[in-house]
Amino acid sequence: MSNYIVLVKQVPDVSRITDNAFDPETGTLLRTRLAAVINELDTHALALANRMRQLENDPNGQIVCLTMGPPQSAEVLRYSLARAADKAVLLTDRKLGGADTWATANPLAKGIEKIIAETFNGDRDCYILSGMQSVDGDTAQVPPQIAQHLEVPCVTYATGANYNNGEFQFSRIVTGGTEVVRPLSRPAVITVADYDWPVYPSFARTRQALRTELIEWTADDIKATQTGIKGSKTRVTRVFPPGKTNRKCQQIDDVEKIQEIITDALEQQGSEKDQDQAEAKYVLPKLRESLCDRSFEGNEKELHDYQLLCSILKDMSIKDPEQIDDDVQARILEKAGKKIHKNALKSMVEGLKKAEPSYNGQVWVIAEYQNGKIIDATYELLGKARELADSLNEQVGVVVAGKSVSEYSTQLIQAGADSVYLIEHPLLEQFDPAAYRTVVADVMEKYKPQIILLAATTQGRTLGPMVSYKLDCGLTADCTGLSIADSSRKGEIGILFQTRPALGGNVMATILTKDSMSQMATARPGVMQPIVPDPSRKGEVINHKVELGEKDLSMEHIFAERKSEEAEFNVEVIIAGGKGMQNRDNYERLVGGLCDTIRQRFDVSVERGGSRAAVEAGIIERPYQVGQTGTAVGPKLYLAMGISGAIQHMIGVQNSNTIVAINTDPNAPILKQCDYYIVGNVEDIVPKLMKLLTEKSGVSR
Amino acid sequence: MISGNDLNRTSVLVVGAGPAGLAAAIQLKALKSNVDVVVIDKAPAAGNHNLSGAVLEPRWIHELLDAIDSEWRETDRAKKVLQNVVSHDDIKFMPCGKMTVSMLPIIKLAKLFRLNFGQMLHTDDYVVSISELTAWLNEMAEKAGVEVLHGFSAEDIIVDENGAATGVKLVDQGLDREGNKQQNYQPGEVIEADFFVLAEGCCGLLSEKFIEKAGLKRQSPQLYSVGIKELFSVSEQQFEEFTSGRVVHAMGWPIWRPVIGPNMFGGGIMYPGDKNHICVGMIVGADWKYCDFNPQDALTRFKEHKFVQKFIEGGTLAEAGAKMIPEGGWYAIPRDPQSNAVGKHNVMILGDSAGFVNMLKIKGLHNAIGSGIQAAEAIVDSFDNSNAAAGRYTELLEKCGIMAEMHSAANFRHSVARFGPLVGMPVSVLGGLLPRWNVEPDFEAMQQRKYVLNPGTDYDKDTFTAMAQTMHREEEPSHLSILDESICLDKCTPTFGRPCITFCPAGVYETIQDEVTPANPSNCVHCKTCQIKCPYDNIRWTVPEGGEGPRYGRM
Repeated sequence: MSNYIVLVKQVPDVSRITDNAFDPETGTLLRTRLAAVINELDTHALALANRMRQLENDPNGQIVCLTMGPPQSAEVLRYSLARAADKAVLLTDRKLGGADTWATANPLAKGIEKIIAETFNGDRDCYILSGMQSVDGDTAQVPPQIAQHLEVPCVTYATGANYNNGEFQFSRIVTGGTEVVRPLSRPAVITVADYDWPVYPSFARTRQALRTELIEWTADDIKATQTGIKGSKTRVTRVFPPGKTNRKCQQIDDVEKIQEIITDALEQQGSEKDQDQAEAKYVLPKLRESLCDRSFEGNEKELHDYQLLCSILKDMSIKDPEQIDDDVQARILEKAGKKIHKNALKSMVEGLKKAEPSYNGQVWVIAEYQNGKIIDATYELLGKARELADSLNEQVGVVVAGKSVSEYSTQLIQAGADSVYLIEHPLLEQFDPAAYRTVVADVMEKYKPQIILLAATTQGRTLGPMVSYKLDCGLTADCTGLSIADSSRKGEIGILFQTRPALGGNVMATILTKDSMSQMATARPGVMQPIVPDPSRKGEVINHKVELGEKDLSMEHIFAERKSEEAEFNVEVIIAGGKGMQNRDNYERLVGGLCDTIRQRFDVSVERGGSRAAVEAGIIERPYQVGQTGTAVGPKLYLAMGISGAIQHMIGVQNSNTIVAINTDPNAPILKQCDYYIVGNVEDIVPKLMKLLTEKSGVSR
Repeated sequence: MISGNDLNRTSVLVVGAGPAGLAAAIQLKALKSNVDVVVIDKAPAAGNHNLSGAVLEPRWIHELLDAIDSEWRETDRAKKVLQNVVSHDDIKFMPCGKMTVSMLPIIKLAKLFRLNFGQMLHTDDYVVSISELTAWLNEMAEKAGVEVLHGFSAEDIIVDENGAATGVKLVDQGLDREGNKQQNYQPGEVIEADFFVLAEGCCGLLSEKFIEKAGLKRQSPQLYSVGIKELFSVSEQQFEEFTSGRVVHAMGWPIWRPVIGPNMFGGGIMYPGDKNHICVGMIVGADWKYCDFNPQDALTRFKEHKFVQKFIEGGTLAEAGAKMIPEGGWYAIPRDPQSNAVGKHNVMILGDSAGFVNMLKIKGLHNAIGSGIQAAEAIVDSFDNSNAAAGRYTELLEKCGIMAEMHSAANFRHSVARFGPLVGMPVSVLGGLLPRWNVEPDFEAMQQRKYVLNPGTDYDKDTFTAMAQTMHREEEPSHLSILDESICLDKCTPTFGRPCITFCPAGVYETIQDEVTPANPSNCVHCKTCQIKCPYDNIRWTVPEGGEGPRYGRM
């Protein structure tokens, strides 16, 4: 007899970006110019809730939709009411605006508590469902943070539910496989990665939705404690258009042309990738030649002011900010003309006087492993952590948790770690978000690192938000750039600048942590560079003891299907098929055939792959899944056949040098994010291409 | 759970949230605010399925707006939607791809002598985006208390033995490609109402079904044109040179040249859009003879014309779409043989569904709104006897001048259809003195002839559909069907070479393993050209699931 709370969000429709949606001056996409729609994955969550209610066959089970946003967000509630929801709650208050994930999760969790108390009369037998992430933020942080606030189980990346002996079990995606889990208590938070059976609106329900009075709550009604900009643990310091993706998006009509493109792509030498470019190395202020030699990140005006100030100070040969007394300040103002305001100067000088780093402690990476091997993403993070720690004159620490993980210490030290924190316990054999969160938070509280990096994998994106919320830390998701710099006139020294794409990759945002013990970030696999392992490196291994009991576990692992075979994605060419391949036979014939043809013709390493949709449809096995929830890849040539190009997929292939897409749908998003594309049926094009490649194989390239 | 038995009933059901249907709903609320009016539309959002030039004659829109808000002129929306007023009527004849000859003096002369061509002038009319206009009307309707529900596709109208309608059946949703029920299957509901207002636009699915079921007749078959429209974002200089008050109507090249051909009716248009945007379009009579002709190719040629090119060169395509125009006019208005009503009993047919396009003015938008206003008044007058509505509606159409206007243009398009543009246009000057010519339905016009001005390059249909932002669920049953596939293979292929593959603007049709199939129904932009122009009348279009199809925002 369960009830359901579905979290829905109104988002800008990033699938339809028109020519007039960009700021003419900065070139930045303006979200206000896009149509507002319901976040698509939230509709999947609504559909799954509806399905669960059907499976449970309980006429009293209620579905309540909850959204937080400006008054016009009521639209997504009406949308939900027209399909499956019985009641709808709108959390709307100016105080709630401008919140990051932390200050979003807090009021939503309070709203959920109030729904359980008032609408469900305190009956805690309910499921809280939401989309895995929203298309505007893409962070996937809010639902696990809510679970943390409520201290309830969190099943992320769910793709379906079974009803078994009066209990629900959920299938979910994990890196390289799927598993079936059962949350051990309720309420439980379920985030939905894919449940594509949308509920259709009925005419009668739609009319009823227009007549239903929404329940409206303000921040005070729910007694939210951390709200809006004030309650946020991160702040956005800069928003800018993404660098040219370098994707050419050229349409080709001629299959013969593909052959030239393949040849070119394979001969091209390591072209520019969308990688985190190491900038000029950061040095702590006190180690600089002059304490006044500062570059402060900030908005354009601030930046300009600082540059001007620094050059004036240089002219005046002032190296110590303590020398800048009132008298000197007057002279600076004189020299600057009217370009610097008196108060601005005052606060800048205050800032200059601060030279101590804002954070102290090690730079940490939370390691992840699979099939007895540390995953590549962890090594990449270690490389980045090394760079950050060197800038800060700090050490690199790695945390590994599990049943028996001491074997990893040596490799981690060779890859850049100074300290390895081992947390070993039999109950940590499988990834249980609650148990892992407990032990990671515990070791963090003890050693207080200043930076924590996690891989943006299914595991990292579940664990990160829960730990951050438990420890009151800000967290930035899916970073593609991490660097140390000083921030604006507040005199924040040596802090972590976290850059990430937002709005479906259409804008970039640089984010800073605030009011937190540690600066936490998850980073996209495949973006950072690992360092070459050095067998002579030395480091210490620390055994961190934890007490865990059955009560610390949040879910039962019922079934797991992991990589039985492994895909080798470290190759020159990857050919991936999507749902457009229709079935396994087609896939085998077309993708398999083309793999062989290209391998023979060009003498290169080739691997096959698939989109999540293809894996779900049983066209190919899970280990071959490419994308954010599969494996991030970066071959010289990526051939996508019948793949629509959902953002999660494109993120996983962005490091490919050349992307060629074949798709029947001229609206497929992939066509805007590839180098070359043909609109057409794979069944027509691929055999032609294979024939061409085979025929010409005798000709030298 | 919500039980919705009574919610499946309303007093007035309007099918189609375009200008005609929304005008009816708005006017009805203005006349009688407590009446229960529901408007349904298959589009995902307001204005998404509306495409027109569009030059809008002010009379009816003013009357409608005045009825609900005396201050409407001061609103931001009015200032935006109605920002462009025609000040420069630019009527051209294009003898070839380089030259233009102004036709304005001739048309002005015609006006002076009160010849029918005089109606072709547009000065002081508005130039609007019909998508934006519709979105605005939609807002006003909702404000007035109308329930406008988008995303509901109506597939049938239920008619009793007397010819009155009892309900509208919505499409079943959640079927797979083969028609099997998926786990989210939802049967289409039947909506009951006292009055049914059919305002679906050109060649409406329910309108045509009702015409057949209730035995309505047209004096002569409906004639159509196909319109292709592209919106370009251009430079400030180009827009300034074009001006926001100019409308260009161009006859001749590339669809008509005297004697040597090609010989098609229609022409190119250029209208101003929002700031720094210019629309370019091509409208071609669907009675073209050339089996390899695609109206988009004519648009390509038109865009190559020196005059057109200079305004759009270097610009970027911002939106594109296609739609048909009902041009049969007076003789093609569907009427009840007994009462002569445009509709029957409690069913009224409005706007483009009825064919209220004045071909001399090449405008129908004003009459769509006008007919909506009349329908609303007819409903109010018939509350005691809903079966009197269609008759009253037709009386009001006569009284308000819409019928007279339609009658005055009755022979123009028909003469052209009968004699071709060269002879037909001058002949039509005789207007009312002419008999009603016998014309054939458009699909019968196809011949084994070729379009001599074919540009040689394929029109980029993929970009076109991408710019129409059309979308359908891939797994649903095709909403386009071929009635008899053997006709395609045995008759059409040897005779005409499968013209549907060429003329479908969205590239829906393909030959797969020697068979012609609607291979990409998800690309369909709902123009229905295939249903009208298949030379064997062998294609049927129905509605897909609700909320699909193109998503026009500025067409």
